[in-house]
Amino acid sequence: MSHFSEYKDLIQVGDLALVWISRDNIKPVTITAGETFNTRYGSFPHDDMIGKPYGSQIAVRTKGSNRFGFIHVLQPTPELWTISLPHRTQIVYTPDSSYIMQRLQCSPHSRVIEAGTGSGSFSHAFARSAGHLFSYEFHEVRYEQAKKEFEEHGLFRDGNVTITHRDVCHDGFTIKNTDKTTFFDGKSAEEAQQPACIGADVIFLDLPAPWDAIPNLDCVISQNSKTSMCCFSPCIEQVDKTLEALEKHGWTEVEMVEIQGRQYESRRQMVRHLDDALQRLRDVRERKQVGVERRKRMFNKIISDQEEPYEERPETPKTQFNPFGKGSRVKEGDSNYSWKEVSKVESEIKSHTSYLTFASKIVHKARNEELVQSIIEEHKDVTPESTLPGKKDKKQSVNK
Amino acid sequence: MDPLKHITYYNHVLVRLPSNNLKVCELKPNSDVSLGKFGAFKVNDIIGYPFGTTFEIHYDNAIEASAPDAGPSGDAAQEGTSSKGARNKFKIPVGRLSVIESRLTANAAATGLGSEEEGTPQRELQLVGNSDSNKNLINIGSSIQKLSSEEIEQLKQQSVSSNEIISKMIEAHGSFHQKTVYSQEKYLKRKKQKFAKFFTVEYMSSSGLLQYLIDKGDVLRAMDLSEESMGMILNLANIRSNGTYLCVDETGGLLVYALLERMFGGENDSAAQGKIVVVHENEHPNLDLLKFSNYTEEFIQQHVKTVSILDYFEPPVTEEVKEAFTPLTDEQLKSLKSNKKGAYYRRLKWYNTQLEIIEWATKQQYDGLVVASTLHLPTFVPKLGERVHGSRPIVCYSQFKETVLELSHTLYNDLRYLAPTIVETRCRPFQTIRGRLHPVMTMRGGGGYMMWCHKVIPVGAADAALQPRPEEAPQGAEAESKKQKTE
Ligand SMILES: C[S@@+](CC[C@H](N)C(=O)[O-])C[C@H]1O[C@@H](n2cnc3c(N)ncnc32)[C@H](O)[C@@H]1O
Repeated sequence: MSHFSEYKDLIQVGDLALVWISRDNIKPVTITAGETFNTRYGSFPHDDMIGKPYGSQIAVRTKGSNRFGFIHVLQPTPELWTISLPHRTQIVYTPDSSYIMQRLQCSPHSRVIEAGTGSGSFSHAFARSAGHLFSYEFHEVRYEQAKKEFEEHGLFRDGNVTITHRDVCHDGFTIKNTDKTTFFDGKSAEEAQQPACIGADVIFLDLPAPWDAIPNLDCVISQNSKTSMCCFSPCIEQVDKTLEALEKHGWTEVEMVEIQGRQYESRRQMVRHLDDALQRLRDVRERKQVGVERRKRMFNKIISDQEEPYEERPETPKTQFNPFGKGSRVKEGDSNYSWKEVSKVESEIKSHTSYLTFASKIVHKARNEELVQSIIEEHKDVTPESTLPGKKDKKQSVNK
Repeated sequence: MDPLKHITYYNHVLVRLPSNNLKVCELKPNSDVSLGKFGAFKVNDIIGYPFGTTFEIHYDNAIEASAPDAGPSGDAAQEGTSSKGARNKFKIPVGRLSVIESRLTANAAATGLGSEEEGTPQRELQLVGNSDSNKNLINIGSSIQKLSSEEIEQLKQQSVSSNEIISKMIEAHGSFHQKTVYSQEKYLKRKKQKFAKFFTVEYMSSSGLLQYLIDKGDVLRAMDLSEESMGMILNLANIRSNGTYLCVDETGGLLVYALLERMFGGENDSAAQGKIVVVHENEHPNLDLLKFSNYTEEFIQQHVKTVSILDYFEPPVTEEVKEAFTPLTDEQLKSLKSNKKGAYYRRLKWYNTQLEIIEWATKQQYDGLVVASTLHLPTFVPKLGERVHGSRPIVCYSQFKETVLELSHTLYNDLRYLAPTIVETRCRPFQTIRGRLHPVMTMRGGGGYMMWCHKVIPVGAADAALQPRPEEAPQGAEAESKKQKTE
């Protein structure tokens, strides 16, 4: 099983782990005895992690100070990988990828085509859920990087991921053993004679010219069942050209949508009551008043030429009324004050990722009449009112 | 034939009506399915076709030409041959079916994609002529349509094809030619939806089931969930076929169905071992919607376990269970009188259930926690979270932001939960017509919010000295920015 697909209990040597330093700072690490992981919060020896359960927090005393630095060691998931991976291209983020997977009914029953692979962000999510993922990338360096990464992540070990070096717009999707592909790895010479049977029913196109790839799909998609597709394009002009190609090549149920994902941080805002604000001002005014009267008395004394014009300043009165901690740094949530729970949207939001154009196609809208007639014949004595056979039996009666 | 890809007897399927609304049907052999005003058909006629196939219903002699390029003139040729004796008033007559290219063929005005060249108006529209603008169109409401509703009803009674009715309505429409081609298309689309007799048979997907609830106006029962939030929950919770998940589902089983579909893809003979332990607040779980699923009862029993919150939080004690009952050896069982066997097996079942509950409530380490509950989350979720394995995701869905906000504050102060975040996702659909792409004018609001975090194991209480205070927790760098400046 891969570093992603197996639910691991303990952190072990050789594991790919994600070290969580902060939300925007998650680092992939291969756990190696004797190594250390360095951050500005301190150096964490891998040996401190080995043998601990996944999710463990690791502490280290920071150099030169008496404080502690903390990290968490997590097992990778496609979603954590997406927020931590090294970008080689634009990537698909979870709000888009999760919607696409849901809408395309991605499941262990799905055979998925993805082009291009890019940074492999979406590939990891597909690999988790799909029966088989066929990923294509025409940029040689990116192909090699992705292949290496999938290898290191153990994705090929689960047997449901293939990556192929290919320009799908010019050369289509068919995979033969003379191609640069991982499909035939571990297959016998005999098996390698046949081109790969793809039969995709889920298509995801994230490349600049999907309209050039669409005509090449017919021979690699399921021939007698429905295939669903999503094209992911940032520009509306691309959508228009895609719609033209979809129409021309017999794709239907066309709909374009846009996904807006947002994240909120939970924060606290100090509750500052009007009464307190008024009281504070009264307090200020009173203080001023005391000063004014003192000065007035002094002035009167000077005028009346009395002796001893000088009046002692009164002792600084009781501490000022300061209900909101003005003038000092108050930590959000400080228990000396009262707080309201609020949510704050990220300071920078992804306001546009891409347009998602969905479509579907059934190559042969026909049924196997012979088979269907034999099934109908078999059920000819069933009356619509008769009680149903147990759900268990029904499988046998239909799985011919 | 694959029951996951082809229309199969005894399966529940979704039928998409011309109005785009969904209907759930169970496909019993030799039965008829009525779609109300849209007609009726025989189940035997659709068996074996791929899911997604669109069928048109035809009646008697009024068979509409099914070839997509046959225009309204083709229908006109059949005019007059369609009226046939009085119909059974109570039963919708069953029609014959033909497979059509797509819903667009039947409903070509729905988008510009039906036309051959960009901007080519619908065939019906080419025949009647139109205006470049609608400046001469005076809105005098329904009086502009010269066919009375009785006359239209009569045409319907005569089982005239929908295209014919619409052609007649266009003829009778006083100012139809004064409308622009766009508004003519809109008119056609509306009318076609009203009179067309076609339907599409869809696989019972979790999104489809949700859409069915929405169409029925029942989505509040599903906590106002949206398709995009449903997908987001499954991904954030890292749902896979080999995991054991703890789940609270107040959506009547929709959430559990979505998990099952993601885990097993409808395959009853899946070899995957994944499990969902559903904790419910009433004496009995409410997973009603699973009745529409096509999983066998056996499959569901194997992969969906249910336990009440009381049994979960106050599980039976192993010793007491073992004291109350001891399974017999095979020998003993053989010699047991047959009239006592029933009672014995009932006790044995109770015994096994008790041991299972103990396992789920006190030993199992879950691979994820997925909650859609209206119980007070800040007290509920941390208790459920106790049994979640380190590093595994927790996702709580709520219709309201305030409730997940309160939860995320509580979890933020609990070192066992890493970086609780509130997540929202919204899908904005577009009118998808070339040259006229724009976001649709109105859409469903709602869709709820999610709280997402990971279970973690704080530095041991034994190393109390190391224990960070919440503010200095791993979010270290972030905590810094959280200090509120007050001048
Ligand atoms: C935006 S990236 C894909 C990102 C990917 N979906 C992810 O989530 O990481 C697009 C990729 O498609 C590749 N590409 C573009 N045209 C292609 C073609 N005709 N055939 C194969 N790959 C292509 C590019 O090299 C690039 O790596």
